[in-house]
Amino acid sequence: MNLEFSGTRALILGGSCDMALCLAELMIKAGFFPVLTYRSKKGQARISDVLKDFAGRYGTSFLDFSDRASLVQIFKEDAACPDFMVDFVQSDLECLIASVDPDDIYRYFNQNISFRAEVLRRVVRMMLVQKRGRLVYISSSAAVRPNPGQGFYCAAKLASEALYKNLGLELAGSGITTVTLRPGYIDGGRGREFIRKDPDASIGRVPIKRALTSKEVAETILFYLSESARGFNATEISLDGGLTAGK
Amino acid sequence: MEVLEVIKRLLADILDMEVKDILPEAYIVRELGAESIDLLEMAVSLNAAFNIEVNDADIFLLRLRDHVTEAAENKTDVVRYLAERLPFLKRDRIADIVSDLEGGPTLKVKDLVSYVEWRRVNG
Repeated sequence: MNLEFSGTRALILGGSCDMALCLAELMIKAGFFPVLTYRSKKGQARISDVLKDFAGRYGTSFLDFSDRASLVQIFKEDAACPDFMVDFVQSDLECLIASVDPDDIYRYFNQNISFRAEVLRRVVRMMLVQKRGRLVYISSSAAVRPNPGQGFYCAAKLASEALYKNLGLELAGSGITTVTLRPGYIDGGRGREFIRKDPDASIGRVPIKRALTSKEVAETILFYLSESARGFNATEISLDGGLTAGK
Repeated sequence: MEVLEVIKRLLADILDMEVKDILPEAYIVRELGAESIDLLEMAVSLNAAFNIEVNDADIFLLRLRDHVTEAAENKTDVVRYLAERLPFLKRDRIADIVSDLEGGPTLKVKDLVSYVEWRRVNG
């Protein structure tokens, strides 16, 4: 199937993770111009290294979810409006709820919910001018099936999903739609580390008996950005090999 | 093109109306039937058309009733209180708004003009 797209400009938040880099490569090959955000020099270097064969065919921009000034910079007045946005950003706070440092609670939710809401506000106001935009949020199967210690991660994911869902409800009539994907175990990034530590407790529970690859997830995202998937809006879709379907 | 004409065209486009039917004294919600999504589209359209930062709460008088309540609680003159929070509106217009609160949302087309003109001068 040949996928068709309404636009070529894509903003990828959290652009230095494995899935984002896979997606960027697919996008470039499909004729997109993705802009990948990073929050550290290490992330910036990783993007340059992985996409070294595609110099000039993508952009990068600093964006740190704990630094509101970086938000102003990336959405400065002359910034081109993205046709698509894919959001991979999520910082980690693995901790039992009863043992967390109270300051971390506020910091974590500010970064992962409040800041995200401000990013969304800015992006969709740009998209509203062109009356077109498609946003994909990368959540996690942990949003609905968390392990002990993932309470904050899960809460932030569900809150972020709610923001995306409501945007899809509120703005679909103006040409802006959203989809949330909930990947399960991924053989890449933090997921790979977790799987290696305890394969029985992770892959052992997945009906297809393997983790998904970053490339598989990236291909799925590209599909959900395409015109073929325009009927999906304001919804959450599991991409977990059946992990969350059973007990 | 003067500010009023641009605003009338934008409203006509968003509300699917004729430009000639949009008068400065028209109530945007009560008479023209604007809904919250229309106001949002108007905010981004004004931002794009005039290159100004638009604060939705200010321009659409979204906190008006809260401010009126605060003024009463603080035993402050309500017109003076509102004038400090909505500096783009002239005092006589604020007095009109206060006397008109019972009738529903008080926002008029001319209030958008006042906001844009004030923003263009004050940034």
